[in-house]
Parts: sequence; structure tokens; C-alpha cells
Amino acid sequence: MSTPARRRLMRDFRKLQEDPPAGVSGAPSENNIMIWNAVIFGPADTPFEDGTFKLMIEFTEEYPNKPPNVRFISKMFHPNVYADGGICLDILQNRWSPTYDVSAILTSIQSLLDEPNPNSPANSQAAQLYQENRREYEKKVAAICEQSWQNL
Amino acid sequence: MEENQIQSDALGGTDQEIEELTGMARDEAIIAQQERIQNEIKENNPLVSQTYPINVLCEEYLDDPVYKAKIDDLSMQYSHIRKTRGDGNCFFRAFGFAYLERLLTDKKELSRFKAAAEISKDQLVSLGFPSFTITDFHETFMEVIQQVEKQPVLDELVDTFRDQGISDYIVVYLRLLTSGQLQKEAEFYKNFIEGERTVKEFCRREVEPMARESDHIHIIALTSALGVGVRVVYLDRGDGGKVIPHDFPEGCSPQVILLYRPGHYDVLYPLKGS
Repeated sequence: MSTPARRRLMRDFRKLQEDPPAGVSGAPSENNIMIWNAVIFGPADTPFEDGTFKLMIEFTEEYPNKPPNVRFISKMFHPNVYADGGICLDILQNRWSPTYDVSAILTSIQSLLDEPNPNSPANSQAAQLYQENRREYEKKVAAICEQSWQNL
Repeated sequence: MEENQIQSDALGGTDQEIEELTGMARDEAIIAQQERIQNEIKENNPLVSQTYPINVLCEEYLDDPVYKAKIDDLSMQYSHIRKTRGDGNCFFRAFGFAYLERLLTDKKELSRFKAAAEISKDQLVSLGFPSFTITDFHETFMEVIQQVEKQPVLDELVDTFRDQGISDYIVVYLRLLTSGQLQKEAEFYKNFIEGERTVKEFCRREVEPMARESDHIHIIALTSALGVGVRVVYLDRGDGGKVIPHDFPEGCSPQVILLYRPGHYDVLYPLKGS
């Protein structure tokens, strides 16, 4: 059955294939267009470089009028990512706009990696280390980057 | 039938059951109850209703002399009301419906509007909106205008506006047009935005997201973006015993008439001959 949400997700998918943004990829799961698997590559020249992080995106029939639910499946160490992988990012909550698409979501999360917002910490240890002990922070990040290769 | 009231006794038993629960189970029960309430609002209130005689409003204000006097006053000029669901999008939905209903019988205005709507997408893109997603909403918006042109049937329009997917796409596109107008004339509109927010920030938070309620600034921006005059008739607790009309823009001859009660917009239909 085609609904605006499903039609739009097909378009989002087509656009991601035809015009893929650097360092992110995503596709619907095999039997459910409302659930997507995505990968974000850690941006070069950041502590996340070389990490390959898996995410799951769950859409509802209200997409694109409401944001999807996005979370990291790979282990993450970041001030704005909760222990369960949930992401604290304004555009996925109160600053969502129906003009965003999957590519915009993934590239925003990608830039969040190196531009955390320590004022709304979802992981207080990561937020504290980011502000007070950058070296230790980067060590922890390097560890989850390495872990991310093992579970591909 | 009273549409806007939720059957309180239907939920009464559940309240008591929730009282007896603790912790996670209680949270889940509360969430489930909220969903049931949302679903009841959905079931009992279509996105746009049929038309009702004005005095249907009296049922909502029993024992309220201020409102009763004003509803009497309202009925001197207006014969019917068409209600919209109170979901934060009611201004855009009521406006969209009422205007397209008018276009069912006004071919000249329809062709003016269709041409303006056609080029509106490029205008939004030139203001910096992403072409890919704008195209998606614009296509649906144009399909609805084409439907009005090819099948000018009121029942079809009602069905279109009750189809949540299409109906919400129309609301989104009207929100985007409003946002575009605010940003295009940002120098002017920034004077009306409270606090330190920029026009762009205001648009991202208060205009583009679904379910954000509309204020005067939204109405002014949308009516000037479309070149469509709107009369809003205020039914509230204010003194004077009469409903107060306000036209946007001032001095226009309104093509759409809406009833405003605090927090909500519905569509009004004038008495024949007035």
C-alpha cells in the first residue's frame, strides 16, 4: 500500500543512491521500508576517524511530518549519545522540519560526532572528559572506533 | 452529536487501574492511556467535519451567558460552521479547506492561484529551501489543486482533507509558504518576533514543524504570500457581547472566513444574502 510516508521513503532511498553524501549510507531493511539500517563513517581528522558506526532508523506513517527515531547500534562514546544509542540532537526533536530527508539526518549526525554540544549531555562521563580531559576522551573514542570494525 | 468532548466515563475505570500500578508498569499504562485519548480525539473529530448550524456551538457553552450572547450575535451573520480537529494545525487546515472550497466555484481565482502555486516552489528553492523535499510537498499540493479544477465536487474535497497523509502534506506546504514569506520579508517581520530569536530561528521552531499553533504573524505572512484575504471572527470572553471580526490584510475583501476561539480555528459560512 502506498502512503505519502512510504512514497517519500522510496524517494529518499533513490536520492541516497543517486546522490550519496560523503561518509554516510543507508537503506531500508529487506522486508520493511519503515525500518532502515545506516552507516556513518567517522569524519577524517577527528577522533572518530576510521570508525564505521551502524545506526537504525525507525519511521512512522507520520514521516516526514514527524522525525524518525534514530539510534546507534554500534557502541558509541559521545556527549550527546545515550547508553542505549539514542541521540540527543535538536533536529530530531523540537527543531525537526518536514524539509529534512534521510540524507540530511545522517549528515547532521555525522557532523554532531565532532561538534558535540556539552550543554545537553546524554552521556555525562563523555561530556565531562570532552571538556576537562580531551586526551582521555580521545582514547575512549579511539576504543569504540576500533570496536566498530569488529561488528560489521 | 458533540464532537469535541471525550467520553469521560469511558476512561474512568482505567484511571483507577493505573492508580494501583507502580513503576514501569504505571508509566506504560499512562502512555497507553494517553494514546487512547489521542485516538478518541481522532475517532470523534475528523480532520474537517461536515457543516453544522451555528447554534451547535451552544452545546459547548451551556450555562455560559457571555458565550451564549456572542453565539447569538454570530448567528446574525453566519449560518454554518465546519469544525477542524484541534491538533495544532487547525489554522492551516481550516484556511486550506475554506479557500479550496471557494475555488470549487470561482474559476477565475482558481486559475490565478494555480499559476501562483506553480511558481511558488522555485521561489522557495531560491530562498534556500531544499529542492528535493520541497518538490515532494509541492507535487501533492498541485495534485489537490488539479483535483479541484477537474472534479469540482465538495465531497471529494472533504475526502481529500480527511485523508491524513494528503491533508498533512497540504498543511506542510502552507507552513513552508508561510516560512518563505517571513524569511523573504525578514526585515519587516523581525519586529513582531518576541525575544532574541531571528526570523529564521522562529520559522524553524514555530512555523515549519507540524502541530505548532498559529499566531497573527503566521496569518499575516500566509495571506500576503498567497494574495488571499482572510476574515477571522473572534469568539472569546472579551467584553461587549459581540463577536469581533478582523481582516487580514486590513481592508481586504475576505475570501475565507474563520472562527477563532482561544486556541482554535474553524471555518465559518455566511448567511445567504449577507
